[in-house]
Amino acid sequence: MKVTRFEGGRSTAIRALVVAVAGLGLTLLGGFFDPQRALQAYHVAFVYWAGIAVGALIVNMAFQAAKARWYVVVRRVLETIPLSSALFLVLFVPVLLGMGHLFPWVDPSHLEGELRRLAEHRRPYLNAPFFALRTAGYFGLWIAVSHLLHGWSTRQDTEGGAALTLKQRRLGAGALPFVGLAMTFAAFDWQMSLDLHLFSTIFGLYYFAGSFLAAFAVLILAVNASRAEGLPRALMNANHDHSLGKWMLAFVSFWAYIAFSQYLLMWIANLPEEVPWYLARSKTAWLPVGIFLAVFHFIVPFFVLLSRGLKRNPRALSFMAVWILIVHYVDVYWVMMPALRHDPEHGIAPHWTDLTALVGVGAAAVAFVVWRMRGRAGVPVGDPFLEESLRYEPS
Amino acid sequence: MSVEMRELTALERGTLEGAPVLVGRPDDRKLNDDLFLPVWEKTRRGWLALFGITLGLTGLLFSAIAYTFAKGIGAWGNNIPVAWAYDIINFVWWIGIGHAGTLISAILLLFQQKWRTSINRFAEAMTLFAVIQALLFPMIHLGRPWFFFWLFPYPSTLATWPNFKSPLLWDVFAVSTYFTVSLLFWYVGLLPDLAALRDASKSKAARIAYGIFALGWRGSARHWRHYRIAYLLLAGLATPLVLSVHTIVSFDFAVSQLPGWHTTIFPPYFVAGAIFSGFAMVLTLMIPARKVFGFEGVITQRHLDNMAKVMLATGLMVSYGYLTETFIAWYSGDKFESFVFFNTRARGPYAPIYWTMITCNVLVPQILWWRKARENTILLWIVSILVNVGMWTERFVIIVTSLHRDFLPSSWAMYRPTWVDWSILSGTIGFFGLLFLLFLRFVPSVSASEVKELRRELEHEAHAGAHAAKRAAPAARVR
Repeated sequence: MKVTRFEGGRSTAIRALVVAVAGLGLTLLGGFFDPQRALQAYHVAFVYWAGIAVGALIVNMAFQAAKARWYVVVRRVLETIPLSSALFLVLFVPVLLGMGHLFPWVDPSHLEGELRRLAEHRRPYLNAPFFALRTAGYFGLWIAVSHLLHGWSTRQDTEGGAALTLKQRRLGAGALPFVGLAMTFAAFDWQMSLDLHLFSTIFGLYYFAGSFLAAFAVLILAVNASRAEGLPRALMNANHDHSLGKWMLAFVSFWAYIAFSQYLLMWIANLPEEVPWYLARSKTAWLPVGIFLAVFHFIVPFFVLLSRGLKRNPRALSFMAVWILIVHYVDVYWVMMPALRHDPEHGIAPHWTDLTALVGVGAAAVAFVVWRMRGRAGVPVGDPFLEESLRYEPS
Repeated sequence: MSVEMRELTALERGTLEGAPVLVGRPDDRKLNDDLFLPVWEKTRRGWLALFGITLGLTGLLFSAIAYTFAKGIGAWGNNIPVAWAYDIINFVWWIGIGHAGTLISAILLLFQQKWRTSINRFAEAMTLFAVIQALLFPMIHLGRPWFFFWLFPYPSTLATWPNFKSPLLWDVFAVSTYFTVSLLFWYVGLLPDLAALRDASKSKAARIAYGIFALGWRGSARHWRHYRIAYLLLAGLATPLVLSVHTIVSFDFAVSQLPGWHTTIFPPYFVAGAIFSGFAMVLTLMIPARKVFGFEGVITQRHLDNMAKVMLATGLMVSYGYLTETFIAWYSGDKFESFVFFNTRARGPYAPIYWTMITCNVLVPQILWWRKARENTILLWIVSILVNVGMWTERFVIIVTSLHRDFLPSSWAMYRPTWVDWSILSGTIGFFGLLFLLFLRFVPSVSASEVKELRRELEHEAHAGAHAAKRAAPAARVR
């Protein structure tokens, strides 16, 4: 069996690049009018997309660790998405430069009372140099692991053999605890530390759950985007779609489980040092957003995704993937924005830079990933289990 | 330009696939003979000896319970502030052990894992017996256990109504649902094998006994169809239960405001710990049973390897829980919270128990990264026992250390278990062992019908693979 190298995608990459430049440029323009607000919009967009890239890395690593075979046909896409962590390292620079506008702990002298005490207490951890160093460390790890996995897999295209599969499995399993820890602390740094009142041990899992779910959504959209020869879609059968859909269903439930656990425990204990975070989201204009998330991030997609017919229909599944990406953005926005803006009473007040930053960062990532897909087989042809993956038919 | 899809040599395939899930391709007759042998053979001396020991411990359990009822809860070491101690430690420990069964039968079924077939019966039985032990504890801790039915919401003339805001009540529903579904799942899975035992039995008494429990199973296509539907539905029902039971158990602690108890990671961290200890207990029981009954062909190295890996993975999740808890205890800036983690637990009077926990749950499982360690059954068995010990100490650390030193030093007190506490704990271990020995003696501990099905699937797969390879051959020549 022959698989053509993927040489297309040129126009897609160029178009995405144009959109990225436009989106980021407009956000920058917004920054001239209202630097603080544009930076907030940018930070939310950054955390949203970077989480998806790391989520995709974790999906691939977990499947490698579990010796999964069914997903081999879509693996090239899955291993290319996390390569964008290199791009996200560059895209982090604006957050780093503007961190004084984003994180209250950068300059505790502006704070008063309890918040000041908390910022002083956390100073050994929450200080600008260590923050930058940590983020560099997270990205260093993600970049290294994603490039190693991708490199071995593409080398296997021409070399074949079992040794490269073993390497991928070993790194997938062995580095998973570290990649998971890096994501946890990234969640603490980028999201949790925005609000000094918030300290929640489950918070890393919350970021992971949403990002992991969204990574499946991106994967589904990516494989369904093109039927071009050599890309996975032409080789997949309905069982692959079905399994991808099942993963979305499972992680819609997992996200709800984590979100509910955190909410229930904080609400029921009602501790003054902990509960302000939820008060800012329930006694304000943000309440409908929280209800929206419960309904549209869990209840509706859960029941819709239960349908077997829907999961086996690529178009319907793609629709649900778009849905998931939208509600996941609302979730990240709901977690971060009330903390970033310090004035939850003034309502949600979306800003046009929210949209330009979201589209700009996303399009940059799309351009990057499509560009990295080019020139190689769109499926890992050297993988010994590809053939088995193609006839995937669970009983 | 194009690239070639490669085929793998048999040798390479061997290195990637690991040990088989079924050694050889034994036919139905041989599987029946081998797997039903423990039921048909004469009672072994070793079995009798173990039965005697566990029966003695069960006697000790019920004597200690009778003593507790006669004397009251004061017979235990519980005090104020440590009002919850061995009763809840052992409850959580046993319930956690019970989690491997449902995980293997339900979640691995959904994950299409073939290695579950020869171990699910075993694990489910263990689940049931562990949950029975667990249920004893809240019951005897009630103080007036004969009023246990007050926990159920029923229209009583006393106008008693349970407090639905309490997770302790949720426990009642969660655990009883879990027990019911696990029992049904186990029993439905047993039906074809019970019928096979009925048909193969040589004595009339055995035929009647197994016949009653086989519910008239004749193995017709209709029966199999209904069986399949029931099995899948029960798997679907059992899946959320794997998460819900221990989540609610964790709520018992986490809804409070006590430092060391009130933390948001508790639900997933308890679930991971439960699966961790459940797999450890399956390994503890399975490694000797497999050896004694000569089941190495159906419970292969692959099964042990996979269970060891699940144990390693869940052990890492538990370690993740410890790490985030400790970090956030500092990060929170809450004096009481950091006092629990950095003082009471790590350096307080119960510090040896804390460090035992860290050793058994965090350090020891790391050895399972090495394949050599996973292949060494003796070592694996020792690790599994240490994990059981570690998970018991974890519950001790969570419950006792948090309670014995709370906000006010004037209300601090030490907790010491009494001989009644120890008798009840060792008694439940004995009772659990007793039930397990009865299971091994009277019921096929490996599902013969499912192993037969697995064999057919493997044959089918090998056939499909060979067929595909033949089709691919011409393309390889073009290159």
